[in-house]
Amino acid sequence: MMHDLQETTRRHFFSRCGMGLGSIALGSMMSDQAQANPFAPKHPHFKPRAKNVIYLFMGGGPSQLELFDWKPELSKRHGQDIPESFIKGKRFAFMNSSFKKANKLLGPTRQFERHGQSGIWVSDLFPHIASITDEISVVKSCKTELFNHAPAKLFMNTGTGLFGRPSMGSWVTYGLGSESQSLPGFVVLQSGSRGPRGGAVNWASGFLPTTFQGVPLRGSGDPILNLASPKGVSAQSQRDSLDALKALNLKRLMETGDEEIRTRIASYEMSYQMQSSAPELIDISGETQATLELYGAKPGQASFANNCLLARRLVERGTRFVQLYHTNWDHHGGPGETLTKDLEKVTHDVDQGCAALIRDLKSRGLLDDTLVIWGGEFGRTPMSEARKTPGRNHHIDAFSMWFAGGGVKPGNVVGETDEFGFDSVGRECHVHDLHATILHLLGMDHEQLTFRFQGRDFRLTDVAGHVIEPLLA
Amino acid sequence: MRWSPIFLLFVFWMTLGLSAKEGEHWAFIAPQRHAQPAVKQKGWPKNAIDHFILAELEAANLQPSTEADKITLLRRVHLDLIGLPPTPTEVKAFLANKRPDAYERVVDQLLASPRYGERWGRHWLDAARYADSDGYSHDAPRIMWQYRDWVIRAINDDLPFDQFVIEQLAGDMLPDATAAQRIATGFHRNTQINTEGGVDREQFRIDSIFDRIATTGEVLFGLTFGCAQCHDHKYDPIKQVEYYQMFAYYNQVDEPRREIPTAADLNAQKAHEQKITALTDKVNNAEQGSDARKKLEAELAQLKKKRPRATTALVMMQRSSPRMTHRFIQGNFTRPAEEVKPGVPSILHSFPEAESANRLDFARWVTSRNNPLMARVTVNRMWLHYFGKGIVETENDFGTQGSAPSHPALLDWLATEFMRAQWSRKALHRLMVTSATYRQSSKRRTDLTETDPYNKLLGRQSRLRLDAEIVRDNALAASGLLNTKMGGPGVFPPQPPGCMNLGQHRRNWTASKGEDRYRRAVYTYRWRATPHPALKVFDAPDAFASCTRRIRSNTPLQALTLLNDPAFFEIAQGLAERILKEGDKADKARIALGFRLCLAREPDTRELTVLESFLNKQRQLYAGMDAVALTPVVQRAHGGQAVAETQRSEQAAWTMLARVLLNLDETITRE
Repeated sequence: MMHDLQETTRRHFFSRCGMGLGSIALGSMMSDQAQANPFAPKHPHFKPRAKNVIYLFMGGGPSQLELFDWKPELSKRHGQDIPESFIKGKRFAFMNSSFKKANKLLGPTRQFERHGQSGIWVSDLFPHIASITDEISVVKSCKTELFNHAPAKLFMNTGTGLFGRPSMGSWVTYGLGSESQSLPGFVVLQSGSRGPRGGAVNWASGFLPTTFQGVPLRGSGDPILNLASPKGVSAQSQRDSLDALKALNLKRLMETGDEEIRTRIASYEMSYQMQSSAPELIDISGETQATLELYGAKPGQASFANNCLLARRLVERGTRFVQLYHTNWDHHGGPGETLTKDLEKVTHDVDQGCAALIRDLKSRGLLDDTLVIWGGEFGRTPMSEARKTPGRNHHIDAFSMWFAGGGVKPGNVVGETDEFGFDSVGRECHVHDLHATILHLLGMDHEQLTFRFQGRDFRLTDVAGHVIEPLLA
Repeated sequence: MRWSPIFLLFVFWMTLGLSAKEGEHWAFIAPQRHAQPAVKQKGWPKNAIDHFILAELEAANLQPSTEADKITLLRRVHLDLIGLPPTPTEVKAFLANKRPDAYERVVDQLLASPRYGERWGRHWLDAARYADSDGYSHDAPRIMWQYRDWVIRAINDDLPFDQFVIEQLAGDMLPDATAAQRIATGFHRNTQINTEGGVDREQFRIDSIFDRIATTGEVLFGLTFGCAQCHDHKYDPIKQVEYYQMFAYYNQVDEPRREIPTAADLNAQKAHEQKITALTDKVNNAEQGSDARKKLEAELAQLKKKRPRATTALVMMQRSSPRMTHRFIQGNFTRPAEEVKPGVPSILHSFPEAESANRLDFARWVTSRNNPLMARVTVNRMWLHYFGKGIVETENDFGTQGSAPSHPALLDWLATEFMRAQWSRKALHRLMVTSATYRQSSKRRTDLTETDPYNKLLGRQSRLRLDAEIVRDNALAASGLLNTKMGGPGVFPPQPPGCMNLGQHRRNWTASKGEDRYRRAVYTYRWRATPHPALKVFDAPDAFASCTRRIRSNTPLQALTLLNDPAFFEIAQGLAERILKEGDKADKARIALGFRLCLAREPDTRELTVLESFLNKQRQLYAGMDAVALTPVVQRAHGGQAVAETQRSEQAAWTMLARVLLNLDETITRE
């Protein structure tokens, strides 16, 4: 009987879920849509270049001028006033009347060199990332709209600074489902001194069903909330409980004819799968010494490097969207936020793991199917802030991100900035454009991935967004 | 079948509704009270609602479903009206009551229960985006619970809906505004507040007005006013300038935090004053200049400084110096365009004095009987909770992009009835839950599935998964742990460790002990950034914006919560204790008691067999376990009695059984 149920369930899922996205958007209006297995893989709009995403989110706003955007002219004009034409009409965080006077141009504080065949500029803060420049595409002309951390993070994740909208990972799993039936489709990993500003709203599903919200893998305690059975409840007892539940729920299904019960049974089964698959996932002790050394990961010690390794293990196991957060990149100057010691620490925290992830994915043949994204919510100003030690303010008009893997042109640079690194020049890459491009690489048309809410068909890209062609392989 | 010509004409016009010219969209025309359509099966209808429903079913050659069995119906109406299941005693009494109006009497009792306000208050708190923290990145705590308690009380008192709305939009401006009316204005203070460093305060003040307009539109008009923030509404006849005309009313608001003493505060202050009087007397009686007197004087000075502060609330107040209002180009506050005077969208009912009116006048205009939308939107939302979806499925969009009503004449009839009943919500609830339509069985029928797959014609009831709060309250009630204390500051039921680390700041969550541990979930402290995971996972909204309809998801995280969450496991332990204490000795009788507590019904043979065999298997598993290792299985983390070592394996087996019962789909579903 149980076997029968599994068969029917499977048939039911596949018969209901082989539909395209248009009908998903339509179906979202109908409560009966809930009958379908929400986790099943779905077809994209067109042939995808990438199947999975690993998004390395650098919370706080990394300084492009210390990392990828080499500005010799800024170096020459160090200490001078910024020409009025640059800042006229612009708004900044912590703005006051003494702003211009106090904020002189600040030359790059690091040494830059060209790396690899591609000759991409990378500073001495990133020796490992410098070694993979031929795999990545650096976008130097990113633009956003909001200059405070939490709204800007939301903007980067959800396409709006307003709380309550679905995040990119939710949109992607809503559109594509997941390949894994024993792990969540959208997983969040965190490292660094504190949680990202805004917290869970960054991976929330907003008005999309909660099925699609990011599931944080926790650094301590259960890797997934309530994953472990209560103390004293053995695996056998848990299995017995699920069998009894299944028998009784199935009986109710027959009596009421309510297909929602079938989804409930499937949810319980998946939760049981997760009880064994999630601990297996986070146990990295079975990785070879060479792999652990490549990442600089240590079993049992939470770190960005461990999370990078977990990200690879997740996509290997079919998770669609993995997002890593690492804080704190907020280098205003002053205690804890210096461009010297503090920036050196945070770059050191992530450098090896990022490069290792790319190499490891490549050597396993996973890089072709996996889009890797690196970046923060905004960049930093070419001007210094008037604090105890030099630092840079939040900057929204030009900052750098990099992309690698599935469908991304390797060894490539997109966009430029002016001589001070103040404004984007050439192909400007607004956040909406980045989103459109990410969806495009996953085989989705950003204008067709919609969900009706408050009388409108909402999109990740709001009413904007153009695919960034120069980024594509 | 006989149709009144006017009704036929109306139906015809309705079918044209979506293609009607701008301004003629059905929702902008005041509801008309249509005659109840004639039906063939004259014996079926119990009230007017049923005439409208049955006429459509008959037109489609469909039969309504039979009435649900008495137990299902009793459990349904309990969960819908008060959010708690009937007790086994209540079930027994209802089954034994042969009066023809036995059901109606239950309905009246439930509507009179204070639990009703807690259940229906929560629906309104969703719409009011109520939370106990500021939102945005800092998510600082705020004291706002007096507003939550005001809502619950107002609903229990059946405060007429128009007055309910006026007090929330402009209670502060009513003549001789009471403390309660000022607390009510917290409705629009439930917006988020950004306390991040370096923010532009004006930007976030304006964002909260945007939120107030969007909320006003969705909650009271079922219209997406928010769409007109940046440009003229693309689909509905609302101009951008009209958006800013409404903005003007809210632009004259100050947003203070005020001490508004509760009864307890007043008592404390009175007691304090008495102490001061007593001490002052002592001082006066002491000898001038003596050491004793000096000591007493110092004491008095200290005491005077310690006057107990009253509980605060966030409220609205009318500004003394008016602000100018401008239209913002593309909704961007840094790009003000022309100045705008107060006003309202011209497509809505008239408001001749709009330009010189203030927020109170605006509130009166919103709640006017001429408003074509407020009554419709409100009855539609009540309907949604009883049938799973509204007569207008897009319950927050009655505009041209919303879905057309499935039963337009019924919607209008209910709206006019709501006004005729002087905006009494209890009257409308009574009408809906005593209808034959509501009382139908929710069992699927093949004939209906084929002709009406989405059950638009309501030929049956629906099975609906309980709301997040009710999942918990229901389990607490079954286990006997529920504490029904009302009101007061938010409480902290247990949650797994680490959940508060996800926000930018690590907020504290120390699980309440004593009665507060087992209060109804409407009283659980609501952090916006780090909501209680067991509520969040069952789709409780996070209060970042108004929520007028919750999603019902069905996920593995819900399974993990009900199975493993320490709070739910504690409830399972409590249920096992109760079954062992109150049930007879025999396994079968005890299992049956568990069924009655969780599902209100008796188990059948098959269910008994499954659970007996499960129980015996658990007995074997736990018999081999060390008594110490068994402690966490049987011993509640808080408040339970110590279990004798010899009893532990038996109680562990029952705890596992109780846990299965609490996890049943049927337990968390109202059928």
